[in-house]
Amino acid sequence: MAEAGGRDSAGGGRAAPILRVEGLALRYLTRQGDVRALEDVSFALARGESLGLVGESGCGKTSLANCLMRLLPDNARLTGGEVLLDGEDVLLLSEDEIRSVRWRRISLVFQAAMNSLDPVYRVGQQVLEAIEAHGVETTATGGRERVARLFRLVGLDAGVFERYPHELSGGMRQRAVIAMALACDPDIVIADEPTTALDVIVQDRILRELKRIQEELGISIIYITHDMAVVAEVTDRVGVMYAGRLVELGETASVFGSPLHPYTEALMSSFPSVTGAKRPLASLAGEPPDLADPPPGCAFHPRCAHATALCREQRPPRVGLGDQWAECWHPLAADAVPLGGD
Amino acid sequence: MASYLARRIAQMALTLFLILTVTFVLVQAQPGDYASFYALNPDLPPDVKEQMRATFGLDRPVWQQYLIHMRNTVTGNFGVSFGHFPRPVLEVLAERLPRTIVLFGTATAASVYIGFLLGKAIAWRRGGLLEYTATISGTVLFTAFTPAFALTMIWLFAFRLGWLPVGKFLDPLVWRDADVTSTSVFSFMLLTAVAFVGFAALVLFISGRGDRIGRRWPATLALAAGALVAALAWTLSGIGPLALDILKHMVLPVATLTLISFAGTMLLTRNSMLETVREDYVTAARAKGLPDGQVRDRHAARNALLPVVTSLIYSLIFALDGSVIVESVFSWPGIGLTLLEAVRSEDLPLVMGAIVFIGFLSLLSHLIVDVLYAYLDPRIRYQ
Repeated sequence: MAEAGGRDSAGGGRAAPILRVEGLALRYLTRQGDVRALEDVSFALARGESLGLVGESGCGKTSLANCLMRLLPDNARLTGGEVLLDGEDVLLLSEDEIRSVRWRRISLVFQAAMNSLDPVYRVGQQVLEAIEAHGVETTATGGRERVARLFRLVGLDAGVFERYPHELSGGMRQRAVIAMALACDPDIVIADEPTTALDVIVQDRILRELKRIQEELGISIIYITHDMAVVAEVTDRVGVMYAGRLVELGETASVFGSPLHPYTEALMSSFPSVTGAKRPLASLAGEPPDLADPPPGCAFHPRCAHATALCREQRPPRVGLGDQWAECWHPLAADAVPLGGD
Repeated sequence: MASYLARRIAQMALTLFLILTVTFVLVQAQPGDYASFYALNPDLPPDVKEQMRATFGLDRPVWQQYLIHMRNTVTGNFGVSFGHFPRPVLEVLAERLPRTIVLFGTATAASVYIGFLLGKAIAWRRGGLLEYTATISGTVLFTAFTPAFALTMIWLFAFRLGWLPVGKFLDPLVWRDADVTSTSVFSFMLLTAVAFVGFAALVLFISGRGDRIGRRWPATLALAAGALVAALAWTLSGIGPLALDILKHMVLPVATLTLISFAGTMLLTRNSMLETVREDYVTAARAKGLPDGQVRDRHAARNALLPVVTSLIYSLIFALDGSVIVESVFSWPGIGLTLLEAVRSEDLPLVMGAIVFIGFLSLLSHLIVDVLYAYLDPRIRYQ
């Protein structure tokens, strides 16, 4: 268990983790059978840390975020695991209790492209609504002042309070959504594709500001994205997801510098590097597996250049190198050692 | 907004003119005229008949009648009713129009309110018993033949059970010793309703300005006090029983109309809301930790309301149309029944007057709904 303890300390290197996810498993019941959206996902998030979660569309990133806030559709079934927020299992809370966790403890920054602002209410009113729902302020003047402070924090004019969402630009909307996420002083902010819909310049500015705000307020942020550039820019650690599993996790620099899992390497070589040497972009052949009927063994084996008979038959073990670990039979670094506990 | 309104009002005037012209032609296309009802009366000498026609202007050529009529209408002179001679058309309408507006206004408000409540409830919790019951009974009622259903209601509640009066506007026995007219009592009732709605709006507006978040009791208290004052005033005035009699006569037609039409709003709300519950702002509202009811009402249902308001135009116009049938079945002396009688007896001025006001009401409700829509949806602005 010594190694397992070492693995956990990867997340808790700085301080005690605010969030610990253990063996989380989620299924969606559909007419085509059960879709295994998440399988055995475990990680820890330290206070003030920023963690990236990357992977292709449909790999379970957003399902994971929704599990943390318990925002699951009716056909979703949690089949195992726990989500410990400060030691308390979020998955066991009653509907009333989870309401006080939402936004107060964990909040969400939605994509700007998503219409997460209600078109019929003024923007400020929608921020105020969250403040009022949690009783963070008891007077309307107090609430309004708080919204004004939040708007200043994200670089929005106070006049935006009285504007409707359709009157704002994409960047302003995204700032408003960030202000909204910060309305109740959450411990954790989940940013689900926070900048995907924005142009690169606005994207960069918003990311910088998120990072500044994070440092100012000492919150933890989970970035969910498929954009490697975002991950490289703002995260301390990164988790790579494939077919509902976390296949690799470690310090962003080491995961990017020397990936252990072939999928991580494939994912990175499909993104251009501005500073690095010019190289052809490699696109990963094949499709992600059907999660209603996942392949046996390692889910990545049909697309993996290193796959052997072992990969096709048995689940890969967890192998580690320092703070970094991956689930793979044939890790790319020869000195990676198997970790216990699984 | 002002220029938009001006444009709309000009369009309304043009539409009214067209409605009037068509109506005039249609009435003229009927064989005979008002005086021909007396043509077979052997007690009337021929010169009296001729004199009647001359008095009503029916001896002139049709185009002259048309021009005179239009000129008078424009100057606000709707003439004298032939059938209610010598009462002016305006007086007849002033008595009957409010009865129609109140009856159908109440029924439309009730059916839209009930339909909206049921619609959002069944969209929010799919597949329950409520969904099946409401959808099936609503659809059956919606497609029922109106007169047959209205007669069934009368048979059941007025005849078999005897809970409610069979029809008409009031019970003569109750009014025998009354020294006020039904029209003035009705006006007072209307006034009370309008005053209370205004008071409620004022209270809600003021309570919305308050600084304390989530404090509701002062508004509730004020509304209850207002209702109490109104009830007290009616009890002390001595005409309370008369008002009650009119209300009793309203119950059956309002219930019938509501039952027939609520399913339209219900199914529309349901479909519209099944779209909005999938919207991201609804997920966002849940993520914000709002209580379930707030997510449903303030976000999902609030946005689902927009197409429902659009459909309100049709329900209002449908209600005015249907007033002819429903008022006949319930002998409700409103504008629909008046129009039917006037058409049958070729009471030209009354037909024209009734049509002007029905047309005007339709156009006005259309305008009100459009303005309401802009108020409810900030993305819509008229210029």
